Amino acid sequence: MSFDLEPGSALLVVGPSGSGKSTLALALAGLIPNEIPATVSGQLALDGREIRELGPVGVAARVGLVLQDPSAQLVMDRVEDDVAFGLENRAWAPSAMRDRVPDALAGVGLGGLERRRSRRLSGGQQQRLALAGALAPRPGLLILDEPTANLDPGGTAALMAALTELHGSRTTTIVLIEHRVDQAWPLADLILALDADGQQLDAGPPAAVAARSGARMAAAGTWLPTALERELAGSRPLTESAAGSLGAGGPSGSDGTSRPGTPIRGAEVVRATDLRFAFELGRPVVRDVSLAATEGERIALVGANGSGKSTLGRLLVGLLRPDRGTVTLDGADPARLAAADLARRAGYVFQDPERQFLAERVEDEVTLGLTPAEVARVPELMSRLSLPLDRFGERSPYRLSGGEQRRLSLACILIRRPRVLVLDEPTFGQDRNGYTSLLEILREHLDQGACLIAATHDERFVRDVADRAIELDEGWVFSDGPVDQWAPAVSGATGEPAAPAESARS
Amino acid sequence: MITARLEPSDSQLDSLLGRASPLVKLGISLAWLVGLAITLEPRPPLALATIAFAAGITVGGIRPRILLGAVAPLWLAAVGIGTFNALFSVSNVDPAAAELLRLGPIRLTIEGVTNGVALALRVVAIGCVGAVFALTTDPTRLTDSLVQQGRMPARFAYGALAAYGAIPRFGEDLATLRQARRIRGLGGSWHPRLLVGLLVLAIRHGDRMALSMDARAFGSGPRTRYREVRWQLLDLALAVVSAVLLAAALWLGVAR
Amino acid sequence: MTTTFDSPVLSAGPDTRWRTRDIVIAAVIGVAFGVVFWAWGVIWNGPLEVALAFAPPLKDLGYAVWLVPAVLAPLIIRKPGAALFAEMVAAGVSAFLGSVWGVDTLLSGFVQGAAAELVFAFALYRSWAFPVLAMAAVASAAAAWIHDWALYYADAALEIQVVRGVAMAISAVVIVAGGSLALHRSLKRAGVLEGFPD
Ligand SMILES: Nc1ncnc2c1ncn2[C@@H]1O[C@H](COP(=O)(O)OP(=O)(O)OP(=O)(O)O)[C@@H](O)[C@H]1O
Ligand SMILES: Nc1ncnc2c1ncn2[C@@H]1O[C@H](COP(=O)(O)OP(=O)(O)OP(=O)(O)O)[C@@H](O)[C@H]1O
Ligand SMILES: [Mg+2]
Ligand SMILES: [Mg+2]
Repeated sequence: MSFDLEPGSALLVVGPSGSGKSTLALALAGLIPNEIPATVSGQLALDGREIRELGPVGVAARVGLVLQDPSAQLVMDRVEDDVAFGLENRAWAPSAMRDRVPDALAGVGLGGLERRRSRRLSGGQQQRLALAGALAPRPGLLILDEPTANLDPGGTAALMAALTELHGSRTTTIVLIEHRVDQAWPLADLILALDADGQQLDAGPPAAVAARSGARMAAAGTWLPTALERELAGSRPLTESAAGSLGAGGPSGSDGTSRPGTPIRGAEVVRATDLRFAFELGRPVVRDVSLAATEGERIALVGANGSGKSTLGRLLVGLLRPDRGTVTLDGADPARLAAADLARRAGYVFQDPERQFLAERVEDEVTLGLTPAEVARVPELMSRLSLPLDRFGERSPYRLSGGEQRRLSLACILIRRPRVLVLDEPTFGQDRNGYTSLLEILREHLDQGACLIAATHDERFVRDVADRAIELDEGWVFSDGPVDQWAPAVSGATGEPAAPAESARS
Repeated sequence: MITARLEPSDSQLDSLLGRASPLVKLGISLAWLVGLAITLEPRPPLALATIAFAAGITVGGIRPRILLGAVAPLWLAAVGIGTFNALFSVSNVDPAAAELLRLGPIRLTIEGVTNGVALALRVVAIGCVGAVFALTTDPTRLTDSLVQQGRMPARFAYGALAAYGAIPRFGEDLATLRQARRIRGLGGSWHPRLLVGLLVLAIRHGDRMALSMDARAFGSGPRTRYREVRWQLLDLALAVVSAVLLAAALWLGVAR
Repeated sequence: MTTTFDSPVLSAGPDTRWRTRDIVIAAVIGVAFGVVFWAWGVIWNGPLEVALAFAPPLKDLGYAVWLVPAVLAPLIIRKPGAALFAEMVAAGVSAFLGSVWGVDTLLSGFVQGAAAELVFAFALYRSWAFPVLAMAAVASAAAAWIHDWALYYADAALEIQVVRGVAMAISAVVIVAGGSLALHRSLKRAGVLEGFPD
C-alpha cells in the first residue's frame, strides 16, 4: 500500500477484520519493528525521514497513539500525572508542563479532574484521558486504533467532538482506524480502504472513494456510512453478505434495519427479583433490579459505561452471587448449579474476549468441554465466523486481531446452543461480514426458542436484533419496554463524570 | 482490605508522616530493623512497637481501627516464631540452663522462653513499623522520592509503578477466569491452570502498557519532573527524633 | 526504491539493553508474585502456622514460593538484573499490601534476588538449563536461610537450622526451578512470549 498525508489532514483507515489495520497503526507509531519484532518491507517515512532511521526516540517525539483498551493506557495513578508522563519523558520544562496539562485536559472535556484517580474514571473518560496524554506533547501525527470500541454513545460523541476540534485547528495529522464509520467519515479528508488480505483497495477523498469503490468495499466486508449503505442498497443489489441484518427470514425485507420475525413467546426462563450487588462495600453497581425473560425474547441491555450491564449479565447466569434478591434460571438458582449443569442451561460471552480464553490453541479453545456431537459442528461454525480451522486452528487465541478474538469467544458459547444466551458487547470490532454472520447464526438459534440478553452500546445491533430494551442508569433500571419505544439516551455526551463521588486531593 | 492499602486516605497522606520524604521513612525503618536485629532483649522491641503504633495514630493520621486491622495478622506470626524459638532453643539442651518445664522429651528453659518472647516482640515491632510506613506513603510519591532523592534509575522505578497500578486488575482477571471456566462447564474452581492464565493476562497487559509508554517516549532520554520531592526540615527532624528513640530503646535493653 | 529488512535479530550473546517491554514485564511478574506473596503470607501465618505448630520445619517445604520471581523473571527476560529487580518488586509490593515482615521484606527480597542473580551472572546469562535454575534457586534459598537465622531464629539450635535449610533447598529445587520451567513452557505455548529469547 502507499499513500501520502498532508500535515493537518485526517486519514480514515477502513478494512475487514484481520486486514492489518492495527499492525499498520503500530508501524506508523514506530513500534514495529523497533520494539516489536517483525519482518517489514517497504518504506515508511515521517516528515520525509525513514521511520527506522528515526528510531523509537525520534518517532515517539512526533507521534501520539491511542489504542482500544483505555485501562491499559493509564500509567500513573492521578489524572494530571498521567497526562504529564509523556511531557516528562520528552524533557519539557516544569513550568511548561504545568501550563500544558490543564490545557490538554480541558481540550478533551476533562477539565477540573486533575487530582482524580485515573483508574476510577469511567471507560469513556479514561479514553479521553488517553487522548489528552497523547496530545499533550503536541505530536505532529496522532494515531487512533478503534478508540471508541468500548465507549457508550455519549463517550463516543465526546471523543469525536474532541477530535473534530483538533482537526479544525489543523495542528495535528490524524490517522483514525474504525469499523463503524458514521461519525468518523465526515471528519476524514482521505480514506484508505484495505481488503481482506491487507492490500490497498482504494485511497482518496471520501466522496471519490465511495463512488469508485463503495460496492467493492462493502463486498470485502467494510462498513460504509449508513446513508451511503442505503444508497448502494437502493441502486443495485449488494452481494448477499452485504445485505446485512437477520431480515432474510423476517417479514420486512433487507434494508438493514429489519428484525427477525415475530418472536415465539414461551415459558419464562430467567427471573430476577430485587437484585442488588456491590463489588465494594457501600458502592452498589446493581440496585433493586427486577426483570423476567421468556423463551424467544431478545433483550438489549443498554446504558452508559459503568451503568452495571456486565455485572447484571453475570448475575443473571449465576457467575456472581447477588448481595440481595434472587435469580432463577429455569427454576433453579444459577449460582448454586454445578458447573456442567449451568453450562448446559446458559451461555455467557464476556466483554473482554482475552480474559475468557482458557486454552493455548484456537481449536482447543472452541472445543473445550464439548460433547462429541457439538465438536462435529465446530468446523462449520468457525468457517461461518471467518475463522476456518485449517487457517486458525493451530494459532494462539492471544495472537488474533481484536475482531477475530471477539468471534472466537462468541463461537465458544454459540456452539453449545444454550437456552439462555447472555452476550456482552457481541459486535464490537466486527466488520460487516462478521456482523452479518453473527446475526444469521443468532437467528437460527433464537428461532428455536432460546432467550437472548445482550449488553451493548451498538444501536444498530439493538434495532436489528432486540425486541425489548432495558436501559440501566447507575445500576437502576431506567426504562424497560419494546425497542420501538426506546430512544437512545445521549446522557454522558457532555462527559460529566459518572464515577461515584471521590475526594479530590490537592 | 486490599483497597484500603492501595488507596491510602487523605488524612494519612496529609499527616506529618505522610508529608515526610518516603526515602527518609524507608531509611528510618531499615535503621530500626537493624537495631532490632542486634538485640535479644524483650524491652527494645516492645518499646519500638509501641512508639511506631502511637506515631501511626497521632502524627501518621491513621485511624486506630485501620492500623489495628493492618497489624492483626501479626499476633499469630509472632506467637509462631516465639514458640519455634522457645521449643528449639539452644539453651534447651544446655544442662546448665534453668529448667522451666519438662514434657516428656521436651524441655523448656527460662532462657529459651525469654528469647522466644523477645523474638516474638521483634516480629511485632517490625510489622508495626512496616504497617505505619505503608499506610502513610503514596506509591507515586515513594517512586518520585526513590528516583529524585535516592537516584534509582527512572525507567525501572516508573515501570514498576505502572505495574503496581495493575493490581486491582489481577483480581478481576482471576474472577473472570474462574467464571469463564464455570460457564464452560469445567469444575474445580481453584484449578492450578488459573496461575498460568493469570500470568498470561498479566503479561498481555504488561505488553500493552509498555506499548503505551513507548508511544509516550518513555526512556527516550533525559527526563524532567512534574512532581518535585524536596528535602524539608521535617525530614531532618524526623531522622533525628527516630535515631534518638532507637538509641533510647536499645539502651532499655542493656540497662539493668 | 523498496528496501527490505528484518528486525534486529536476537544475537547469540546476551543482549543487555532493557527495552521498555522487558522492564514492564519483569515488573508485572514481580507485582503479580507480590500479590501471591501477600496471599501466601496470610496462609503461612494463619492456617499453616496452626496446622504445623508442632512440626515447624515442614512449613519450610513451602518456603520457596517466596523465591519464584527471582528465577521466573530472568528465565523470561534474560537480562542481567532481572532476578534482583523482579524479586525486589515482589517483596516491595507484598510489604506495601501488608506483610507481617514489614520493611524487612525488602531486605529479604534483596538477598534472595541478589543470590540468584549471582548464579546467573556466573553462567554469563547464557545457560538457562535446569541445573543452572536449580542452583540459582538453592542459592536464593540459602541467602534466605541465613537472613532468617539472624533475624527470626536467632536462638534456635543448629540441628533445627539444618533441618530447615534442607527443607528450603528441596522446596527451592522443586517449586522454584521446576515450577518456573513449567510456567515458562506454558507461557511460551500460549504465544505470549513472542519477542523474548527462547
Ligand atoms: N501477534 C501476532 N502474531 C501473529 N499474527 C498476528 C498477531 N497479531 C495479529 N496477527 C494477525 O495479523 C493479521 C492482522 O491483524 P491486525 O490486528 O492488524 O488486524 P486488524 O485489521 O486490526 O483487525 P481487527 O479489525 O479485527 O482489529 C490478522 O490476521 C491477525 O490474525
Ligand atoms: N471487578 C470489579 N471490582 C470493582 N468494581 C468493579 C468491578 N467490575 C466492575 N466494577 C465497577 O462496577 C460498575 C459497573 O460496571 P459494569 O462493568 O457492570 O458496567 P457496564 O455497564 O458493563 O459498563 P461498560 O459499558 O463500560 O461495559 C463500574 O463502576 C465499574 O467500575
Ligand atoms: Mg485491530
Ligand atoms: Mg460492560
